[in-house]
Amino acid sequence: MRNSTPKDIGAIDFGLMEPEEYRDMSATKIITADTYDDDGFPIDMGLMDPRLGVIDPGLECKTCGKHSGSCNGHFGHIELAAPVIHVGFTKLIRRLLRGTCRDCSRLLLTEDEREEFHAQIDQSRKLGRDLNDVTKAAIRQARKNDQCPFCGEVQYDIEHEKPTTYYEVQQVLTSEYSQRIAGAMQGNEEEGIERTTPDELAEKTDIELSRINEILSGSFRPREAQRKAIEKALSIDLTDEDTNKLMPSDIRDWFENIPDEDIEVLGIDAERSRPEWMILTVLPVPPVTARPSITLDNGQRSEDDLTHKLVDIIRINQRFMENREAGAPQLIIEDLWELLQYHVTTFMDNEISGTPPARHRSGRPLKTLSQRLKGKEGRFRGSLSGKRVNFSARTVISPDPTLSLNEVGVPDRVATEMTQTMLVTERNVEQAKQYVANGPNSHPGANYVRRPDGRRLKVTEKNCKALAGMTDEEETAGIQTVGPGWEVNRHLIDGDIVIFNRQPSLHRMSIMAHEVVVMPYKTFRLNTVVCPPYNADFDGDEMNMHALQNEEARAEARVLMRVQEQILSPRFGGNIIGAIQDHISGTYLLTHENPRFNETQALDLLRATRIDELPEPSGIDDEGVPFWTGRDVFSELLPDDLTLEFISESGDTVVIEDGQHVEGTIDSEGVGEFGGEIVDQITKEYGTTRARIFINEISTLAMRAIMHFGFSIGIDDETIPDEASARIDETIQEANDRVNELIEAYERGELESLPGRTLAETLEMKIMQTLARARENAGDIAEEHFDDDNPAIVMAESGARGGMLNLTQMAGCVGQQAVRGERINRGYEDRTLSHYQKNDLSAEAHGFVENSYTGGLTPREFFFHAMGGREGLVDTAVRTSKSGYLQRRLINALSELEAQYDGTVRDTSDTIVQFEFGEDGTSPVMVSSGVDHDIDVEGIADRILDGEFESEAEREEFLGSKQPPTNLSEHADSRRVDSVPEVTSDD
Amino acid sequence: MVDVSKHELVPEHTVVDEDVIDAVLEEYDIDRTDLPKIKYNDPALPEDAEVGDVIEIVRNSRTADRAIIYRLVVD
Repeated sequence: MRNSTPKDIGAIDFGLMEPEEYRDMSATKIITADTYDDDGFPIDMGLMDPRLGVIDPGLECKTCGKHSGSCNGHFGHIELAAPVIHVGFTKLIRRLLRGTCRDCSRLLLTEDEREEFHAQIDQSRKLGRDLNDVTKAAIRQARKNDQCPFCGEVQYDIEHEKPTTYYEVQQVLTSEYSQRIAGAMQGNEEEGIERTTPDELAEKTDIELSRINEILSGSFRPREAQRKAIEKALSIDLTDEDTNKLMPSDIRDWFENIPDEDIEVLGIDAERSRPEWMILTVLPVPPVTARPSITLDNGQRSEDDLTHKLVDIIRINQRFMENREAGAPQLIIEDLWELLQYHVTTFMDNEISGTPPARHRSGRPLKTLSQRLKGKEGRFRGSLSGKRVNFSARTVISPDPTLSLNEVGVPDRVATEMTQTMLVTERNVEQAKQYVANGPNSHPGANYVRRPDGRRLKVTEKNCKALAGMTDEEETAGIQTVGPGWEVNRHLIDGDIVIFNRQPSLHRMSIMAHEVVVMPYKTFRLNTVVCPPYNADFDGDEMNMHALQNEEARAEARVLMRVQEQILSPRFGGNIIGAIQDHISGTYLLTHENPRFNETQALDLLRATRIDELPEPSGIDDEGVPFWTGRDVFSELLPDDLTLEFISESGDTVVIEDGQHVEGTIDSEGVGEFGGEIVDQITKEYGTTRARIFINEISTLAMRAIMHFGFSIGIDDETIPDEASARIDETIQEANDRVNELIEAYERGELESLPGRTLAETLEMKIMQTLARARENAGDIAEEHFDDDNPAIVMAESGARGGMLNLTQMAGCVGQQAVRGERINRGYEDRTLSHYQKNDLSAEAHGFVENSYTGGLTPREFFFHAMGGREGLVDTAVRTSKSGYLQRRLINALSELEAQYDGTVRDTSDTIVQFEFGEDGTSPVMVSSGVDHDIDVEGIADRILDGEFESEAEREEFLGSKQPPTNLSEHADSRRVDSVPEVTSDD
Repeated sequence: MVDVSKHELVPEHTVVDEDVIDAVLEEYDIDRTDLPKIKYNDPALPEDAEVGDVIEIVRNSRTADRAIIYRLVVD
């Protein structure tokens, strides 16, 4: 089993199954509804017949001889006493009934029409369109013919009563035709209809007067044409509907006569699917393995829902046969037939509208075939595409800044549970033995071994030493010891590659490969710089880890999925991994004012990096002590020949020349996680490994820097002097006055409306504007009183966290609260709260919060604030569920598209979607993200060449600027000439 | 009525000659029906386009300045 070669699926045919085929594949006919006899043995030709497969371990299958687990089970069959309709095909059956002749069963289309639809079907097939559109049109066309073009038989309407009943509706002459005609001939004075004499009628209808009299007396039934003429003359209806139920056997006979050519016009392949096979005469019985019975604790057997349903079918089937043989009246037979139809229908689908679902004794609806497959928990979405996997672990994550961004800290208890398969060879046999000897419980140990003969053994505390051959008595015990050819399932160790994932997996960076670092305690540890791609934080987030089980997977993961390979995001071509939050505050403090550090301090800053020796000091201070500036310390981490210029988040120009940071502030624009220019440039020009080193070192340097300066934020940092508070109060009072003026103007009717707005809307807008300006002013006043080293300012300016708005709200004024983009207008009748007068339009009454967060909100302000806050929460909740569904549909639609080697994007049927991937055929991560600075392609090429060749001559040879001597004798002369001057110059 | 084909946002649509089509189909190793489709009643189509023709569309592209796309006219 283990070494079986994979096989290609050549083709899959979809079609109907012939009754004969059901009988052929059947292991046994099922005739009794009983399952087990009194001794608990399955009854022969019962629903649990041993030939249908085995479920009890230890028993042997009577059909294939295999044991439970390896025997897939075998189908049986029930011979139905009467044909029944397959619910899955009711629509198609209806279509065929309507489109074919009731007498000769031919498709009701003329030769020309057939040709036409045949061509259309071929065309649709080629274009990959839905064939249903064409076949539907064909049936519509066929229904228009109310006479068969071949045999001339008149066609009747087919009515379908869901789910499985069909009627033929005929229009027949009503029995009271003479009364109706006589009544109509009387006329109606009220409605102004005149009397008609038989003479007149005869004239109008072209029927002889004697015939009219016969018809009126009821002794002659008018023929079709005469009926129509009379109906027209008197504008009456002389017909009655006569419905005639089509029994499944009738339908089956009908369909049997449809010629093969005719159904081909409807897109059905007659070779594979004859329409009469849609009417079941034989019912396949699923193998017992598909409907295992369970033994309850009390020894009672509990059968599967499908088995219950099959029992019902067999019971009715038998009763049907008995009644028919006994010559029961037609009425009873029809009832039983309907009952059989019901059971077969619900066996296949128990959620049909219009049919009561079949229920269990407890009242729970049975889960039959269709219910097993359908929906999220069904076989397809639940079991086949969404499998649960082995070799996976899940736990809480926590941060560890000492790890590389490529690494993940794995708890030892996870590492000892998850294993990697190690193929033992001559070269690693000692290591393998050591792992086995350590046993399953101590860390670099092993849990299982597989001997060359294929037996798998569990490594236990007891047998580990013996398996490893590290005891004296191993020979006497006769235990084989680990050697070449064995497989050892050893624990995860440092450096193993694993896949790490955080849901929701919205983009490819949600699943990345990490290298294992085994650690104590219970959480997965990760470097904080990989939080942005996973969108992770540490407030209780959990993540999943998967151990890879073969060498190909490990190699692929390492080359394609490792975190450092994902630094650039294909979404916008810039880096998605970079310094975050405090890292950015750190680099800002380090470079903004370019502070000085003495030797100890400078060394401390760089101590977690590769830099062991400080560069030349930046200068000597007044006391004669050498110092290093922040920018020079930062420059140590840059590649030596990096040259770059850009505008930083704080607004100054950053200049980097030949790996020296000359000027400007390093902040989120330089090293941040969404398009940090330096990180981006390094990744593209120096490769992902250099970028990984840079990001790691930047984050540690930044942490050292921020710890050197100290960084904290508290209430006092947002408190402003009384004088400033007074000014803010004044501004707000002014704004309030201004709002009141507007309201008064509005009430006096003096307000002029803005174009396209009503007066009330204009007022609202103006009030909103005024209040927004008031908040801005308050913010400006507050800001004046903060120094540049205020932590909130540092964070906002560097782009580390928060913005000026947050600062304004903390120190100045929280401002207008909004629900649905308007001032708060809900609550009581004509007012927001009962604290206000009705129709009070003032700022205060509609959710303007005058106070700051530090100052504290009044209860009413707090309430309005909560209203605005709740809208935000609801919005995010709604957005995530909406966008999740959108994502699912988008991914399902795009999942089959693939970029081909010829540069096109095609779907699985080879239809071209894009002639060139992205129209330019390039990957977004390989392209320069900024317009300002292109990637130095020449420079990269030079650097690679420099590294590749030892001497200038070798390099020139490779580049083809200098041809190497290909034939010694040919170039012997020139070589000698070259060497002569050297010799001469020597003396 | 507005002639949409004159609108600045509608790229140029032209009917392609048979030999050019053959070259394109050859290049991508496809049948005509594997091309992207365009509806016959699409207002951007040139007057003389028939069902079964192949249309060349030259678009301004954000990534590649100019992108050429072929579409098969279907009904």
